[in-house]
Amino acid sequence: MSQSISVENLRAWYGDHLTLKGITMELEANRATAIIGPSGCGKSTFIRCLNRLHETIPHGRVSGSIKLGDEDLYRMDPVDVRRVVGMVFQKANPFPTMSIFENVALGLRIGGVRSKAEIIERVEKSLRMAALWDEVKDRLREPATALSGGQQQRLCIARALAIEPEVLLMDEPTSALDPGSTLRVEELVQALKSSYTIVIVTHNMQQAARVADKTAFFLNGELIEYADTAIIFTKPSDKRTEDYVTGRFG
Amino acid sequence: MTIRSQMRKWKSNLGWGVAWFGTALVLFGLFHLLWTVLSKGITSFRWDMLTTVTHGVAGGLQNAILGTFELILISTVIAAPLGILGGVYVSEFAHTKVASVIRFLTEVLSGVPSIVIGYFGYLLMVLNWGWGFSALAGGIALTIIMLPYILRTTESSLQQVPLAQREGAWALGMTRFQAISRVVWRPAAGGIATGVLMAVAIGMGETAPLLYTAGWSSLNPTWHLTGHQVGYLTYVVWTYIEQPYPEAHALAYSAAFLLLVIILVIHLVVRILVKRATVAAK
Repeated sequence: MSQSISVENLRAWYGDHLTLKGITMELEANRATAIIGPSGCGKSTFIRCLNRLHETIPHGRVSGSIKLGDEDLYRMDPVDVRRVVGMVFQKANPFPTMSIFENVALGLRIGGVRSKAEIIERVEKSLRMAALWDEVKDRLREPATALSGGQQQRLCIARALAIEPEVLLMDEPTSALDPGSTLRVEELVQALKSSYTIVIVTHNMQQAARVADKTAFFLNGELIEYADTAIIFTKPSDKRTEDYVTGRFG
Repeated sequence: MTIRSQMRKWKSNLGWGVAWFGTALVLFGLFHLLWTVLSKGITSFRWDMLTTVTHGVAGGLQNAILGTFELILISTVIAAPLGILGGVYVSEFAHTKVASVIRFLTEVLSGVPSIVIGYFGYLLMVLNWGWGFSALAGGIALTIIMLPYILRTTESSLQQVPLAQREGAWALGMTRFQAISRVVWRPAAGGIATGVLMAVAIGMGETAPLLYTAGWSSLNPTWHLTGHQVGYLTYVVWTYIEQPYPEAHALAYSAAFLLLVIILVIHLVVRILVKRATVAAK
């Protein structure tokens, strides 16, 4: 069962530069939450704090607290955090020297799954969840790089799902994809949100409107407005949100 | 207008001329060297040199060939793991400052004249530690030559693996070590293997570090690591070319010829590896 995430007064720095200026918000379980905002507003930094990737950057620093259910993510081992908070990146990054099967299976092996039958079963399940199974079931041994860009991104989603996380972070997952592939990934988000807490960063406001239950608008490292998606796009309460979603800037 | 364009044309021709001349000069030297070694090597090489040992200034090269392989084996067994692990450390684990210090030191080490490394080995291993002229002393001297090379190529191959690969591995809950041992090393493997093979080729061609450490023997090497001198091909080239006997010259040219062929083969293997690695990366 997935759990909600509560973020409290989250600040993040790159060296001396304060990128997130105290974000407080609740990300609901079994919902898709979209993070929108102009380039450089801190939305990628924000979700990279949720799986503690931000601190892997030299001089990357974080303060505040992020709780998954009752557990403080910043008191856990980052490796354990990333096993419950999965991530899909802006540009599909399958492991190029591995087969399609191995890309999905690796996370399971790392997590200590030994049984061959179980690995095969869970790889198939993950590929089905990522709506990729039918396209690759006859060529699981082929290199992952043989897939198209859209397929590679769905493979990365399958890879993230295989280790059964509770949260799925998506950092502009469709920005490098064509409209057809984008649609398939969006359908996937719709289907997955019943069982995961999904946080999706996007530049594309139509995408946020299509897939997200709630939407947060970030500007210059601050959370300007956070509400049901319909409200953000129809009657936002902040002037800056309205200017952004109506395309006056950004 | 026309004068300016004429000037420009003239300068361009001059530039091209200088470039062509420089290239021709380099190629001339290279081909002259190859021609000398190949023509004299092929005519003086006999197949039975592979199966007989050196007698005085005549005989064969079996002892030197086997000795070269023994020295390279010892040095590679030490230098490859150390260099690769060192490269992994500098690329993946070391703090920026520590990494730049290690990088600087390896540059210094690779800049030390090889004869100095030989003499250092002589004082430390041959005399102080009492190993005498021996395969181990020679092998370790070669290790010092090869180590910085392997370390640097390993580091640069790992650095070429995109950050997205590392982040993908971390995001699956891998530790830094797992990310390297399961994911990051694979795209870098071709480059790392290339570095090791190039280091082997460099080690094979070295003479100076061995003169003070390996000694010379006209017997086939035994598996005694210390206390027994060992022969090697570059010694034959270096010493026998100065002897006033045609048999000695024949041995020297044959040894040079053999080295050239072995190193050529290594370079061909390297090219194939690099090609396969770049195909895999695409």
